[in-house]
Amino acid sequence: MFGRSGKKGNYAYTVARVKAKKSTLMKEDAYSKMLMMSLPEISRFISESGYQKEITELTGKYVGVDLIEHATYTNMARLFRGILESSEGELKDMIAADLERWDIWNLKVILRGRSYGLSSDEIKEDLVPAGSLDVAHLDKLMSFETDDEVISAYAKMEEIVFPQEVLAEYRETRNLAVIEDFLDKVHFENLLVSVVPNSRPKRLFQDFIRNEIDITNLETILKLKKEGISGDDVMNYYIPGGKQIDKKLATQLANAESISAMANDLAQLDFYEDIKEALDDTNSLRDIVAALTKYHSDQARTFSHLYPLSVIPIVDFMIHKENEVNNIRIIARGIESGLDKEIIKGLLVV
Amino acid sequence: MSTQDITPTRSVLMDVKKRINLSKSGYKIMKMKRDGLIIEFFEVMEKAKAMRDSVVSDYEQAMEKISIARAVEGEIAVKSAAYALKNEPKVTVGSKSIMGMMVPKVDADMSQCTITNKGYGVISTSAYIEEASKAFEKLLVTLVRAAEVETTMKKLLDEIERTKRRVNALEFKVIPELEEAQRFIKFRLEEMDRENTIRLKFLKGKKEAA
Repeated sequence: MFGRSGKKGNYAYTVARVKAKKSTLMKEDAYSKMLMMSLPEISRFISESGYQKEITELTGKYVGVDLIEHATYTNMARLFRGILESSEGELKDMIAADLERWDIWNLKVILRGRSYGLSSDEIKEDLVPAGSLDVAHLDKLMSFETDDEVISAYAKMEEIVFPQEVLAEYRETRNLAVIEDFLDKVHFENLLVSVVPNSRPKRLFQDFIRNEIDITNLETILKLKKEGISGDDVMNYYIPGGKQIDKKLATQLANAESISAMANDLAQLDFYEDIKEALDDTNSLRDIVAALTKYHSDQARTFSHLYPLSVIPIVDFMIHKENEVNNIRIIARGIESGLDKEIIKGLLVV
Repeated sequence: MSTQDITPTRSVLMDVKKRINLSKSGYKIMKMKRDGLIIEFFEVMEKAKAMRDSVVSDYEQAMEKISIARAVEGEIAVKSAAYALKNEPKVTVGSKSIMGMMVPKVDADMSQCTITNKGYGVISTSAYIEEASKAFEKLLVTLVRAAEVETTMKKLLDEIERTKRRVNALEFKVIPELEEAQRFIKFRLEEMDRENTIRLKFLKGKKEAA
């Protein structure tokens, strides 16, 4: 699916569309205003900031914070699919590979929902069709009788080959984690393959992806070390292709005695300064993860204006759109559950 | 026991004496049991207080973490992770004895719920969801322990109340009544002795006069 089309993309058209959309994204001060609002005020505020169509559509189905969450997800899914459909050639390949994570998300939602015994209608409510699989494809996936059929249909749609050992382990244990972890690894593999580093902006995009792999690997290592999982087991979840964390460094980190003992190995990494304060076994991983998310978002911002006719402004817009959706949800859910304003501010990515 | 129902004989007196001894030793033991239970109750009460504080703090932490997970990852992602869960905590209920009283012993085993076999993928499940999941597992263990301690405390209270009633019954009813019966029998027996002596003297005087 993410093979090279050989055709150059329609960069000018897609970037022009994206630039127009980017001007409608919320500015930093909008989040400060929203922090002072109640939930109905937030719904009204976002409906005046580009989400009106979705709020109106879903108002009869959801209320309060659920309405905000579903409306923002639906808006984002439509925007992303619009970008994907308007792009062509190699640009479309790269965007499709990047948005594959939403296809994986949807497959996970379908498989998890089915394993819990939810009906197709209940599962459908939680889908975010922002990837290359549209609602019709997802409906088709949900229509299958067994999970095995769903998995093989998904593999056909996305042109993925599941290794026999992965399928065998899943059939034996019925543990979805095997399938999910395989798909997450394949996503990054496909994403890297889809970007041919034959120009400076594509190399920057590839570096950006490799940075994302590093962050994902570090987060996985930290999660597993916090639970006291052995180094060998941690390495089963290692995703190759990272920029700074290669297999050797990952093994060293995975075999570290504690999280604080990782500090020396992590000191050489670009994002060490951002996370060093939070590197403590007694601390929650929340601060580290928030710092890594901010670092990754800042990375996109540093090169977003450099190459106006490339994939970079499009990726930058998609990251900022997703951040906006996440920030609105963080504020709405935070206010609903009575979280401290300072905690909510700390979770925002601006 | 009314004195009218008592037959004032030596065998009944012996029987009453035996019952007084038995009641007094029972009273002593019950009093010791009551005091022991009260000491045990205060220890358990301290534990229960600490457990209540733990439940409150663990609950607050768990709620904060789930609120953060729902905010950062969204309700959909949190629900979806919950649907994937395969392992359930094992709760075993047994019993143990405190001064002859059976109290429940409850254990929650969360050892099988590690991040690698929960049922959802490790790579993409965020640290926020994982931390919320861990916080709720901790809360569950604390709740199970708190339930054990609070049930023990309630059972101890019931047992103390029952023992206190028995001690009071022995001290203020059974033993005084038995002692009263003993006094009455002794008095009646002495009376009967005196009557016999007088009767014998009277017969002896009559015989001498004849």
